[in-house]
Amino acid sequence: MMKKLYWLLTVNCILFTGASYGEINFSGFTSINAGKVLSGSGVPQYDIPPTFLADYPIVSAYSEDISFKPESLFGLQINADLAEGLSMTGQIVARGANDFDATIEWAYISYEINEHWTIQAGKKRLPLFYYSDFYDVGYAYVWMRPPADNYTWQIFNYNGVNALYSGEIGDWSVMGNLYYGEEDDKENKLLSEFFFKEPTREIWRDMLGGVLQLNKDWFEVRLTHMTYKNERYRKGEQVLFDGETSRTGKFYGVAVNLDFDNLFILTELNRLDLNGNLDTSMITLGYRFDTITPYVTYSQFEEDAEDGEQHDTTSVGVRWDFHSSAAFKVQFDKVNDESFDLAVAGDSESITFGIDLVF
Amino acid sequence: MILFKKVFLSLLLLSCYSVNAEVVIIVHPSNSSSFDQSEISKLFLGKAKSFSDGNQAVPLNQDESSAARKEFDSNVLSKSGSQLKAYWSKLIFTGKGSPPKEVGNDADVIDLVSKNPSMIGYVGAASLTDSVKSVGKF
Repeated sequence: MMKKLYWLLTVNCILFTGASYGEINFSGFTSINAGKVLSGSGVPQYDIPPTFLADYPIVSAYSEDISFKPESLFGLQINADLAEGLSMTGQIVARGANDFDATIEWAYISYEINEHWTIQAGKKRLPLFYYSDFYDVGYAYVWMRPPADNYTWQIFNYNGVNALYSGEIGDWSVMGNLYYGEEDDKENKLLSEFFFKEPTREIWRDMLGGVLQLNKDWFEVRLTHMTYKNERYRKGEQVLFDGETSRTGKFYGVAVNLDFDNLFILTELNRLDLNGNLDTSMITLGYRFDTITPYVTYSQFEEDAEDGEQHDTTSVGVRWDFHSSAAFKVQFDKVNDESFDLAVAGDSESITFGIDLVF
Repeated sequence: MILFKKVFLSLLLLSCYSVNAEVVIIVHPSNSSSFDQSEISKLFLGKAKSFSDGNQAVPLNQDESSAARKEFDSNVLSKSGSQLKAYWSKLIFTGKGSPPKEVGNDADVIDLVSKNPSMIGYVGAASLTDSVKSVGKF
């Protein structure tokens, strides 16, 4: 870790001192969040005490004691503009859920071919859901976090290439990406620490995905599809899926957002077909009263199987933009966990609050 | 009579407001592209990168604290400062775009736009000079 940081800093020093044409920009985001479970069932059959799992992939879990750690984070982005369309971006994130160990979560080079097309290569956030690739930037969305029932997948980064398009068709703004890559997570946090409670290596190979986003005035739609090959090792032993060493996942997503002057409606509908369908959806209704934005959200996860994984969350909250670069948020979440064998964290009612800022 | 007073007062306030509040969109005198509010918005939101004549467009913002910036955000982009910051945060931290460069005041904007045919900016209506071309008042 220190080596990586050192390497990044060295590169930056070279750019700072050596290249008169290299422009370096620092920007960042921080969330200081706290919360606790007000009441919860836990999962007695798995010895899980009352818990609110606010973020699956990084296991942000709140208990009945107030904690500031699960969702607090500090992110720093360094962008080196090397002129003529070439740039390098690195993002270092320190998360409370990982004891604030700073890791490089993004590192990619970007080349702007023309005003419409940009090619990026390196390590990036996987753009599965609408909010996936800026999940860590709390300031950019209204809630404490994008609805947990939807954002449940264990892999959230990929190493590969991404072609990014931005343009216009008539009055419509068009954005799209096509990406290809893989991620080999030697000790996946969600699977190792929460679900299987033993070291689990999770591999997503041959990820091939596309995103198309169209926007006009108050209307926005985002369509996405991605396929990948999943391999898994538990305690070093390869897991077989229906007798096979790998299985194919197919992800489909539609998000529609309506944003009028003050009223807004945010929706997502997703399906992961992984030897059976796993469906997630959410809807949010919010209203901006100047700097105060109250909202309500309903989200759910449903596995198409007998006693499959099934949970839903109803949330109400308020965002207050009390400063030009900072927002205070408070949110109440009520989770229903329906499954017995595939129970996640049980039913719970929780309160979380915090400050998001960008610089 | 009270009603009349109220109406008169609000009319008076409204007229003061609109006189003080107007911003003028400016480009280089040689720029012959057409502009409307939607096109100007797209340029300042990074959704379009060229003028209607096909030439590259470089939008110039004013500092967050300036009066012209506040008027521009609300009259032209129809969004609050916080909404715009959230919008740009999403693009910056996903590697999809970066916001327009910011300069200090009306005089700086006029100076830069008068020297560069690619630039587009905005200034308070009272600051407008002959060295730039006005393409809209909001």
